[in-house]
Amino acid sequence: MNRFRRPGSILGGAIAATLLIAGCATGTTSNTDNTPITLTLATFNKFGYSDVMLAQYHTLHPNVTVVQNIAATSQAAQDNMFAKLAAGSGLGDVEAVEVDWMPKLKQYPNLFVDLNTADTKTRWLDWKSAAATVNGKLIGAGTDIGPEAICYRSDPLVKAGLAGDPAGVAKLLTGDWNNYYNVGQQFAAKKTGTAWFDSAGATFQGLANQYSNFFEQNDGTVIATTNPDVKAAFTSVLTASSTNSAHLQEWSTDWNAGLANGAWATMLCPSWMLGVISGNGPKVTDWKIANVFPNGGGNWGGSYLTVPTQGKHTAAAKELALWLTAPAQQIAAFTTTGNYPSQVAAYTDPALTGAMNPYFNNAPIGQIFSDRAKAVKVTPYKGVKYAAIMQAVQDGLTRVESKKQTIDASWTQVVSDIKALG
Amino acid sequence: MTTSTFVVPEPTRSRLAFRESLGRWDVRFSPYLFVSPFFILFALVGLFPLLYTGWVAIHQWDLLGGQGNWVGFDNFAFVLQQRQFWVAVRNTLSIFLVSAVPQLIFAIVIAAVLDNNLRNKTFWRMSVLVPFVVMPVAVALIFGSMFGERYGLVNRTLAHVGIAPILWHTDPFASHVAIATMVNFRWTGYNALILLAGMQAIPRDLYESAAIDGAGRINRFFRITIPQLRPTLIFVIITATIGGLQIFDEPRLYDQNGLGGENQQWMTMTIYLYKLGWTQLNFGRAASVAWLLFVVIVAIGLVNLAITRRIASNEGPAS
Amino acid sequence: MTVLISGIRRRHAEARIAQRPGLLVYGLLTAILVASLFPFYWSFLIGSGNGGTLSDTNMSWWPGGNFLHNAASVINNESVNFWKALTNSIIVSTVVSASVVFFSTLAGFAFAKGRFSGQKGLLLFVIGTMCVPTQLSVVPLFIAMSAFGWTGTLGAVIVPGLVTAFGVFWMTQYIAQALPDELVEAGRIDGASMFRTFWHIALPAARPAAAMLGLFTFIMTWTNFFWPFIVLNQSNPTLPVSLATLQANYFVDYSIVLAGVLLATVPLLILFAFAGKQLVEGIMHGAVKG
Repeated sequence: MNRFRRPGSILGGAIAATLLIAGCATGTTSNTDNTPITLTLATFNKFGYSDVMLAQYHTLHPNVTVVQNIAATSQAAQDNMFAKLAAGSGLGDVEAVEVDWMPKLKQYPNLFVDLNTADTKTRWLDWKSAAATVNGKLIGAGTDIGPEAICYRSDPLVKAGLAGDPAGVAKLLTGDWNNYYNVGQQFAAKKTGTAWFDSAGATFQGLANQYSNFFEQNDGTVIATTNPDVKAAFTSVLTASSTNSAHLQEWSTDWNAGLANGAWATMLCPSWMLGVISGNGPKVTDWKIANVFPNGGGNWGGSYLTVPTQGKHTAAAKELALWLTAPAQQIAAFTTTGNYPSQVAAYTDPALTGAMNPYFNNAPIGQIFSDRAKAVKVTPYKGVKYAAIMQAVQDGLTRVESKKQTIDASWTQVVSDIKALG
Repeated sequence: MTTSTFVVPEPTRSRLAFRESLGRWDVRFSPYLFVSPFFILFALVGLFPLLYTGWVAIHQWDLLGGQGNWVGFDNFAFVLQQRQFWVAVRNTLSIFLVSAVPQLIFAIVIAAVLDNNLRNKTFWRMSVLVPFVVMPVAVALIFGSMFGERYGLVNRTLAHVGIAPILWHTDPFASHVAIATMVNFRWTGYNALILLAGMQAIPRDLYESAAIDGAGRINRFFRITIPQLRPTLIFVIITATIGGLQIFDEPRLYDQNGLGGENQQWMTMTIYLYKLGWTQLNFGRAASVAWLLFVVIVAIGLVNLAITRRIASNEGPAS
Repeated sequence: MTVLISGIRRRHAEARIAQRPGLLVYGLLTAILVASLFPFYWSFLIGSGNGGTLSDTNMSWWPGGNFLHNAASVINNESVNFWKALTNSIIVSTVVSASVVFFSTLAGFAFAKGRFSGQKGLLLFVIGTMCVPTQLSVVPLFIAMSAFGWTGTLGAVIVPGLVTAFGVFWMTQYIAQALPDELVEAGRIDGASMFRTFWHIALPAARPAAAMLGLFTFIMTWTNFFWPFIVLNQSNPTLPVSLATLQANYFVDYSIVLAGVLLATVPLLILFAFAGKQLVEGIMHGAVKG
């Protein structure tokens, strides 16, 4: 008995379809009746949807009141969403989803409303909307993305005799990952007391996001244990990390303290990382951003707004989701919280192109991240098992970094853990 | 334990017969009425989930996709063959022992100390419950930060004294000690007060007679307090066992991933269950781990019960 | 068990039992007090600093000046809904602890002093229910709550907690020990019904344990996070749920989070001040007899 095949949902789907068609035809409002409704918007971390913005929506649609529920962390929001999808009720009208859990949700497209309209085809970067599309159905409206650059601290670099200005560092690190590791070797040899990067795990993420089929084939078959690229990446990062790494696992309390104490000189920097660095290390003054990334570009993170079909006002919710993810609103969010927009039209907006970040010594972040976003050539296919596989590999990297196992022993355990997922 | 009886008075007159039968009805059925609120509620929040979980465990069940095929005991068989499962069992038992044994000893000592004729009794008795009030998020922040391997307060203090840093996260046993410390911090005072209540119910003239016979403080403690405390001790040990084998919040909050460490150093069975159900979305396997955990808890609970009965009864004359 | 002995020896014994403990005891108690209070002080230290204070290895041991400012940020934050959360927490914790005390004492009385078939088995079953791990019951319980239409309301948080196995077990064990059978029989002989016996004889005798059970339950309900998080939402939260909103950031300003945590703990400390006297008096009252 598939509990999602409730008879009511067929009727509901028909009504929703009618409203959607009506909506597409008029292009503006789709609420044919103006009964006051309340829509729940469920987000996590900081999406930048301020109360001012929601009040603005209320002015545009006087019968709609939007209430925002913010979960503490992405993990908490994910747990909550899966519990309520399993139970069949309880989700908000619009639910924010992080790209990491999107593959699992793409297995069940019938649980979500199709958000395609006439203008959504060109709104987002191709790879952004592709990651939320199943058989032509767009189940997630892209909010932000995480284009990566390299953040670095100029004092240790200068001390080691390397360039310290953003242009110089960009030139230095243009190239592939081996180049990044080699510069790190040179840096480490000068023994400045600072490590080159924070951990093998964080660096590996950047690598993994540059292959189109790293852990899985497009049909979901797991190739992580046999793909030579994976083993090669695993080995090369760990070999480099023996001299280059601060061995501090990302997001741990030691890592936070490491940021405060300047324990490493460079790190992979998606746009949302800026707030983390400045928040944890208010006293550190030499962080800058180089407009460069090994192998050109990469994306890490980003979210979507979805409209679950279990909601009671799916048409109105779809409208809200599309409004919130329009370029104007997403730029407003960027100004509030620094979330980098995924909407193509936003990249020519002066509010974005002229943006600067004072903590990072007035780095022109609008320009930098716009360049990095355009440099993203490949987005990895992420299937249902991607997150669990990545966790197994990350564990393997940490085991070697903490000197518990050799690279080979750790890889063997990674393979058996991945096989156990099946 | 004393046996309990209700004596229904013999009817001396026939006109009391009606009241008597009402009384008999009252005696016979009221107990069921009195315990029914618990069982009715339990049917909803305990039995239904338990049966549901059992049903899930014998099917292939994806958390989002719903019920799949019937697979009998395959989920159980799979889980029992996993290295991670047995590591989880090891961790659960280890953390349980490292936390429960010192906690109990401390709780008894603290209760004995509080059992004295103190000035400002209320103040001291309430003060041991203060840790219980600290919210789990704060405990996790404080202890997680203190036990950081590179920058944590504990290792920095040890470095001042010349001791090498302890690998509070990397080394399994050290991580168990750290987590046990978090658990004990929260629950020792709680158990101490329960034991105190039990101690306060011990008649004072037992102590007086022993004092007259020349028994000192320590002697009185082991010869009188511990045996008299037997029912309370059994209660505390059983609840501590059941709770201790199920701890979830502390290991989950111990690092940023919440999955028990890169080599499952501190992954307890509840964390393994959570990992299977929520990160791998394999509800069927998670349910089978839940049932296996249930069996483990009952088994160890019974073992503890037997041990406690034996210890407490050997210490001195039963009352 | 009284023994007829000379008055002097008896008085000496009484004096030895009642003698005030020495410095060692107070020293130990003070050490325990300091260890218990340390997290509060540490929370206050961070809560009176700023975002970087938690990671600062050279953090000063004196508080910074920011606490009131951070506390105001918490209270004024619209998403946190502080006053509503506080009210909800008070309602939920009070109702649940009162209910748990009442129903647990009722059931405990029946198990301890009653005699009915299946008694031992049912008690074991009650204890057995504590062995069921709660992590997986979240999904079926949520299904049940939405079937009743209670999700998002306080009922979904209150009803599952109305009587606990721990409470029943605790009161059973205490009443068995502390309520003499003679008292119960006396009530029966006087013609009182079971319920009157319970209300007038068992409940007063169980007061110390009941007070303690009430206090424990209140605290545990107050600090409970996971289930309220699943079943409530931001417009109708309890305190731990609304505090979690403060952690809504990739970078978490822990000074504000800990200021919020301290604010949420203050009502419990006030409760302590009142409940403390009750508990101590109750415990002492229980000790005098026998």
